[in-house]
Amino acid sequence: MRALIIDDSAVMRKVIERALRQAGLELSEVLQASNGEEALQTLRDNQGSGALALILSDINMPVMDGLQFLEARKQENLAQGVPVVMITTEGNESFVLRAIAAGAQGYICKPFTAEQVKARVLPLLRAA
Amino acid sequence: MSNAQDEAVTRLDSAVAEVFETMLERSCDPLEGEVDTVEGRIVARIQFTGAVDGECLLYASQATASVTAEALLGTPSEPHDPMVDDAIGELCNMIAGGWKSKLASPDSNCVISTPAVTRDGLDGYQAKFGTKFSRNYSFQGNVFGVVLAF
Repeated sequence: MRALIIDDSAVMRKVIERALRQAGLELSEVLQASNGEEALQTLRDNQGSGALALILSDINMPVMDGLQFLEARKQENLAQGVPVVMITTEGNESFVLRAIAAGAQGYICKPFTAEQVKARVLPLLRAA
Repeated sequence: MSNAQDEAVTRLDSAVAEVFETMLERSCDPLEGEVDTVEGRIVARIQFTGAVDGECLLYASQATASVTAEALLGTPSEPHDPMVDDAIGELCNMIAGGWKSKLASPDSNCVISTPAVTRDGLDGYQAKFGTKFSRNYSFQGNVFGVVLAF
């Protein structure tokens, strides 16, 4: 299983990857990006190189934030059908609604436990 | 201390405890009185804009920052590892976000910045805000401070 983790914090990308592995996901490759623009480029570069199963994205990032990334992904028709879960400190309802409207399927607030990641992610993977 | 400031302190204590219990699997308690964490400290800063204008600063010694990074990552860190600064920035981000999420509407309708991390000290950061308080915390004997100004 391949996953893409988007967060401007390298520490948080590692923490999220560890949480996914603790949740029992067998990750063959974890792609990483530090903002939405890098993530779009990663998706373009990896088209046709094996199915991506999951995208996890922060919202608050420099250069291109997570909501802008969702909109741009939709416009470029990149990785459509791949579930996107936002992992962010922005728990405000307006951000949640905007993320869902832009194509996110799940939302996890930092701080989070591995159990919370498992509870949000596994149903999406089963449904995909 | 005013009621509003009491509530802000209670929210901050709660946000700090939640971050440590959830992400670092450690308890973290407030300390009363002044604690000297000036020597070689790393400072992370998050700004609030919108219904609340202000900032949250987290400062820690190099030693405390290294222990924090190790606890978050689960692996040892070197003294000048960029992951140490990153970890302090992310800790400040989660504490500031947690504090914000505990505000009642409409005050919770503010946006927080990405963290900025410096080793140059705190001077002049909070001068423009009317309310300011600082709080020290300890986890397993490691001390760090948080300043909230708004």
